[in-house]
Amino acid sequence: MSWLLPEGARLHFQGLDQPLTILRGLGGGTQGQVYAVEAGGETLALKWYLPACLAGDPGLPRRLRQSIGLGTPNPDFLWPLALLEPTAASRPLIRHPEAGFGYLMALRPPSFLGAHLHAGGQLEISLQNVLRACFFLADGFHQLHLKGLCYKDISLGNLFLEPGSGRILICDNDNVDIDGGDPGSVLGTPGFMAPEVLLRQSRPGAGSDLFSLAVLIFRLLTRHDPFRGRRELMIRCLDEPARRRLYGEEALFIFDPDDAGNRPDPEEHAAALVTWPIYPAALQALFVQSFCTGLRQPQRRALTGQWTQALSRCLDQRQLCPGCGQETFPEPEQEGRCWHCGAALPRAARLQASHGSVVAAAGNALYPHHFNPLLGLDLHQPIGRLEAHPSDPTLLGLRNLSSEPWQATLNDGRTLRLEPGRTCNLAALQDIRTSAGTLTLLA
Amino acid sequence: MAFPNVRLSNRPLHFIYLCDCSGSMAAQGKMQALNQAIRQSLPGMAEVARQNPEARVLVRAVSFADRAAWHLAEPTPVEQLEWRDLQAGGITAMGEALQLVATALQSPPMEERALPPVLVLISDGQPTDDFDRGLATLMRQPWAQKAVRLAIAMGHDADLEVLQQFIGPETAAGGRSARRPLQASNATSLAQYIQWASTAVVGAASMPASRVAAAVAADRAGAGASNIHLPDLPPTILDPTDDVGPLVW
Repeated sequence: MSWLLPEGARLHFQGLDQPLTILRGLGGGTQGQVYAVEAGGETLALKWYLPACLAGDPGLPRRLRQSIGLGTPNPDFLWPLALLEPTAASRPLIRHPEAGFGYLMALRPPSFLGAHLHAGGQLEISLQNVLRACFFLADGFHQLHLKGLCYKDISLGNLFLEPGSGRILICDNDNVDIDGGDPGSVLGTPGFMAPEVLLRQSRPGAGSDLFSLAVLIFRLLTRHDPFRGRRELMIRCLDEPARRRLYGEEALFIFDPDDAGNRPDPEEHAAALVTWPIYPAALQALFVQSFCTGLRQPQRRALTGQWTQALSRCLDQRQLCPGCGQETFPEPEQEGRCWHCGAALPRAARLQASHGSVVAAAGNALYPHHFNPLLGLDLHQPIGRLEAHPSDPTLLGLRNLSSEPWQATLNDGRTLRLEPGRTCNLAALQDIRTSAGTLTLLA
Repeated sequence: MAFPNVRLSNRPLHFIYLCDCSGSMAAQGKMQALNQAIRQSLPGMAEVARQNPEARVLVRAVSFADRAAWHLAEPTPVEQLEWRDLQAGGITAMGEALQLVATALQSPPMEERALPPVLVLISDGQPTDDFDRGLATLMRQPWAQKAVRLAIAMGHDADLEVLQQFIGPETAAGGRSARRPLQASNATSLAQYIQWASTAVVGAASMPASRVAAAVAADRAGAGASNIHLPDLPPTILDPTDDVGPLVW
């Protein structure tokens, strides 16, 4: 890689008090290069555009200034923090006669890995954390759309996830713009583009974001593609015209309830057949909505708020199979079977709060929104978590993750005080008064 | 418990180098430069292959001098590839090299379903055998018609006309374009083009990248519009005074 900004250089930028020290190049593509830089004792990331980029996309600096002014929708975006234009003194240090420009953002921690690794089956990750990642993704788009913005180009390539937590980072936010404003130059990534954009009938916006978001959630949850079924097998050379048919002109969802013409092939598309039955009907219905009725009617696609609701409910339903230990998501109040080993799933004990209930299974968590519907769904800060006893995994406890003490009432009428950070055994529990509200154990 | 051990099914992407090993390649370290450029490009190519869950990148190489022969006959996963040095000596049997590639692109041995193959022809001179017949044989294969065909001219003695015929009709748009032979006049630019072909082009042929409207319009304007959207050529940023760097070859 030939780096435009020399390692070790201290560069001054207009409007920035302190110089930035270029620590090292992190990567580059056809658009530009990314560097780790040091600014006032803090390590940040800098994206520098190849000068040709501006020629093809004259609206880029305006969009970046706009995004910097509006601020990040939530902490899950690697949002632009400052636009960087070199001062006259620093321009000669840049290895290009036109110097160019860039922007500053937070540095991605190394624990966050490219989502393509998950799609390629190269990550160890739990179903719970994949669902959490999908929730955070939908929530990020929810916040972005609420600000009147659209993203335009979401794909596996600009999403990073932390396998151990399900936390995400959305990068490449430089196409973000006010929805319905400047048509801009980006169209999106084939395979994720909404059909109307792929077929050049309209430009990307919040409506096409909803389609791309559904594709990305599908790819994360199934490790498969929503339109690759039998029709793909008839394509010998998968090139651009073939993709236009598969994802545009002749697109048909592989699980379309009314048209079985593009079902997955048992051998070639095994991933879809294994993973799709894992998820509850409410979640599957959002895919059907987005890829069948919503395929040609953008206004009928599942909304970000519907995704966050279905995904958080699915997480609340998570239950561990007593036969094989696999994570399952049976409908509440119904006799389910494990998708993995086929064992019958017993009706699980639940923790009932005023506005939601959570299955008592190790790893499941309680959030403020379970007690207060006005708070909005948010999985960033659990107030309590169900945990297996370290020496006896059959014993389940509830850990107080809030900063206030809770009061538990046991079956024999005794009460006990549960300090922050402490865990109480569920076996003897009747209910528990938390800082957010009361939880009742329903066996 | 972990996410079930399943993944999106992938398709093979055949990447074939056609390397000129005629006697003139021995001059001025050209043969060594090509060996180095290919060897150095492999880690980047392996990284692109890792990032593209939809593709299984398989590499082969043909060398041509007095005769054409498979230098690397087995389609080899890029992460397992160890590049054996090519040796220069002889004349330029380019037409025969195209014939060899044509046999490899027949079905079978070609899989029933695949991604568009990528063919990279590198030469510093003129064919000494029947190039036209070789090209005609190659282009009768449907997979050759679907392939991304790139050509790199090493030095000013390369026959740009035959390289252009290999690529196909030239584009109408001016400026540097991968639909014309890429001219490498020194080891640095050769390495840049080899790296670009083995990373950016492999990426584009296996998993489409983000698209901008201007590029789509340019694609459509191009004569003989291609079935793969080629990425921008590598920026020549090292030496701002000279677009192609020092002339060595």
